[in-house]
Amino acid sequence: MPTISLSRVTKSYDDIVPAVSDLDLEIGHGEFMCLLGPSGCGKSTTLRVIAGLENLTEGEIRIGGRVLDSSEQGIFVPPEKRGAGLVFQSYALWPHLTVERNVSFGLRLRKIPTVERKQRVAFVMETLGIAQFRNRYPSQLSGGQQQRVALARMLVVEPNVLLLDEPLSNLDAKLRLKMRAELKRIHAEFGTTIVFVTHDQWEAMTLSTRIAVMNEGSLQQVGSPDEIYNSPSNLFVAEFVGNPPINIIPVIDDDGEELSLIMREFVDRTFNKNGKIGSVGIRPEAIQLSANNPSGNFRCLASQAKVSGILPTGGSWIVELDIAGSPLFVSMIEPPEFDSGELAYFQVDQTGLHLFNLDGKRVAC
Amino acid sequence: MLAYRSTCPGHEDRSSLMQLQRSSRNKPTILAERRRRPRLIYYFKVGWKEPTAIIGALMVVLFAYLVIVPIVTLLHDAVEVQFGDARRAKSEVGTWTFYYLYRTLASPIAQILFWEPLIHTLSVATGVILISLSIGVPLAWLLSRSDMYGRRWFATALIVPYMLPSWTFALAWRTLFRNRTVGGQQGWLESLGFTPPDWLAFGQVPITIILALHYAPFVILLFGNALRSFDSQLEESARILGASSGTVAWQIIFPLMLPALLSAIILIFAKCLGEFGVNYLLGLPVDYNVLATSLYRSISSRQSGVAAVLAGAIMLIGIISLLIDARLVRESRRFVTVGGKGATSRISPLGMYRMPASVFAALIFLVSVGLPLLVLVLSTVMRIPADFSIENFTLDYWIGQNLETVALRTGILLTPDLWSAAWNTLRIVGLASLCSGLLGLMVGYVVVRSRVRWISSFLRHVTFFPYLVPGIAFAVAYLSLFAVQRGPIPALYGTGLILILALTADQMPYSSRAGISAMMQLGKDPEEAAQITGAGWLRRMLSVVIPIQKGALVTGTLLPFISGIKGLSLFVVLAVPSTDVLTTYSLRLIDSNYTQAANAVVLIIAAMAYFGTLAVQNITKTNLAEGLGG
Repeated sequence: MPTISLSRVTKSYDDIVPAVSDLDLEIGHGEFMCLLGPSGCGKSTTLRVIAGLENLTEGEIRIGGRVLDSSEQGIFVPPEKRGAGLVFQSYALWPHLTVERNVSFGLRLRKIPTVERKQRVAFVMETLGIAQFRNRYPSQLSGGQQQRVALARMLVVEPNVLLLDEPLSNLDAKLRLKMRAELKRIHAEFGTTIVFVTHDQWEAMTLSTRIAVMNEGSLQQVGSPDEIYNSPSNLFVAEFVGNPPINIIPVIDDDGEELSLIMREFVDRTFNKNGKIGSVGIRPEAIQLSANNPSGNFRCLASQAKVSGILPTGGSWIVELDIAGSPLFVSMIEPPEFDSGELAYFQVDQTGLHLFNLDGKRVAC
Repeated sequence: MLAYRSTCPGHEDRSSLMQLQRSSRNKPTILAERRRRPRLIYYFKVGWKEPTAIIGALMVVLFAYLVIVPIVTLLHDAVEVQFGDARRAKSEVGTWTFYYLYRTLASPIAQILFWEPLIHTLSVATGVILISLSIGVPLAWLLSRSDMYGRRWFATALIVPYMLPSWTFALAWRTLFRNRTVGGQQGWLESLGFTPPDWLAFGQVPITIILALHYAPFVILLFGNALRSFDSQLEESARILGASSGTVAWQIIFPLMLPALLSAIILIFAKCLGEFGVNYLLGLPVDYNVLATSLYRSISSRQSGVAAVLAGAIMLIGIISLLIDARLVRESRRFVTVGGKGATSRISPLGMYRMPASVFAALIFLVSVGLPLLVLVLSTVMRIPADFSIENFTLDYWIGQNLETVALRTGILLTPDLWSAAWNTLRIVGLASLCSGLLGLMVGYVVVRSRVRWISSFLRHVTFFPYLVPGIAFAVAYLSLFAVQRGPIPALYGTGLILILALTADQMPYSSRAGISAMMQLGKDPEEAAQITGAGWLRRMLSVVIPIQKGALVTGTLLPFISGIKGLSLFVVLAVPSTDVLTTYSLRLIDSNYTQAANAVVLIIAAMAYFGTLAVQNITKTNLAEGLGG
């Protein structure tokens, strides 16, 4: 049974365009679900609606089978009675309380006996490595430590779901990596269902069991990180996930560009979808690049192109090809054997191609 | 929005809705039939899930009553025949009339009632603005951009006149220059054998000088702030392009400083408009009336209709000038946004002018603070004015007993009236400040948290409105509302409550602004975090919001308290002898010519205001400059 279920969830403020529209999402027990999307796509609103900080315009929200919000049934459970936990982007620690008081706040409210309360607070603070700061005030902590306090404060009340609103965005790169690992460990250790909001696809890929990609208030695709990456359901998902981003080559309305012509010819020949394909996506790492002409294969798209730029990124290289004026990005893990301005041969296996129809929806090969 | 319009059913409706909701859970068939009803319940639950909406509604009612109703009543009084005027207005009491408008604006005595005071007000204001600018602008520049000696000390010292009540200086002036036009003790110059002419002793000249010295700090603060935030790189780029320092000043600095300057001018104008104490002390003896004193006279002579017209006129001028200011501030934002990174301001070396500049500042300090206070202090310890022999000095006026006077036979500190006035001041001003501090925070909370947009914008505006209305006009509005019983509210005139109410409303602009900005800064997150962990509204207020906002609450209470202690124009209309505060008490002493005692009381007030301001600055680590300017 799913822990959280959102059905036909719509939230609009005073504007005509709803922040979230017609969202259906089921989040299973113990899942680490990521809501991924660009800023303003409605992912934070979704989180706030689950927490009860916003009410719904339409639809229904259940947690553990209990209806929490439904305008049709006239039910609205206020946030303090939902038993959820929410870690804010700003952490929202109470500046006038010590770390220990911040963490124990929820337990005190629940009138947990002192002995048990102390045990639970100590356990959570120990687990998160903030026990030594128990008497400090939030302003005396670093960003990463504040982050842990914010987490501890919510974990200690054993919420039925832990909601995280871009919790890592205020940390520097190194700390973010560390906290990511930490979050994964916490998830394993506490077994809490987690809903995590982020605009960072890397974070989503590395952390979650499933990802829900959102754009302009509506759900684009739900699936495991693998599914999202390897079979994006539409152009938006394909382009949003992946770095360097996927190459999208239009095969209709192409203004007669050479790359498009080659691609259309290849797609027509290989997949026999006559004219239903609007564009083709190729992940930069699905392209093989070499200085010499590789042995041609009928199932491969192969051609020659001019190298217009080589961008080393440390462990790998991003190579920009110029195919009669249109760029094609390739990512290589081997050092390139050619220089900028020279010619190189590229080839793509047909399994590396993503086909999209005229509406941008995925077409099975 | 829609949600809230449909969630205002009466109490009975609410319980029946609850019942309906309960039954509808049990019988889903009814649910389908009455789809609209659950939706109502839903909106109801969402809307009232926290008491913000209820508090918001209460605040709207409260401030409508404290701010809008008095002003409407006042305006209504201006066009309705008042008690006792039936014969003159040739109409029944309570009917509509243009009599008061005619009498104040067009009748033969309109000249004395309105037009002459208006011209006096305008000419005093013009003079004040000119003088305070010519003192304040150079000082502002010296303080913020030069290497004058003792810059930091002067930066505080030159603001002192603004911390003290303006009529402190009027009293000092009277002590020095008073001539035989009025009775009582002689002025110092008179007793030295020189009789000051009337134009020097009373009327426009001293009023203008005193107000100019009192408001020069305004210019120093506003203009100085603008100068400090002015990026020197703008100046330097012009220099690099070959502009002379004159060209830079005229073409770069002046245009950019203009908004701040205009803002200071208009604020000074608005303050002059409502200024009562100085005009009362120095204008009345020679029948030099300004609008505020004319208003006061028509109240004292029970011409409430005329008073309403005058108060309305003052209010109108005040509102117009401050609207112009708001406009200018908006204009000036346009400039501000151009600036890039943090502004750097450079100090200009004065060279050979370093000493003269410092002397100039010292001189201004001496004239505007040192001399007046010294004169006042000395006047309270000397029997005969301007006689500096040792035997002439006495502490009798402070702590003497069995003096040979007709009344007030003890020193001021031993007079029970002083202590009752002091107690009244603490009680009334203290309570009003506490109220306005708390209400300010509540307004801030509702403004930030309310989901109903018109409630927040209404509260924001209504609490700011008293700022546009000069205190004396506001007091008259309260007088006309609470002078008689209206509905369930009894006549409050003569009680301390009317003072507390009027003062609270009058201070709301400051405290609500403090509250709003504090709540804005706090944001919703800490409270929502508490909500998520399971805290109900009351718990969140007590454990999270109020403890965090402790500092803001202290500021929002103390600042109004200080300005309330030295306030006069509000009290002079509404206080009666039993509710005398220190300011009105000293005014009564002046009226009965107990000069030394009055001076002593004013010194006490000045000391309270000064040390209070310092204390607030220390507690809150803020600068007075930030609280100004609007």
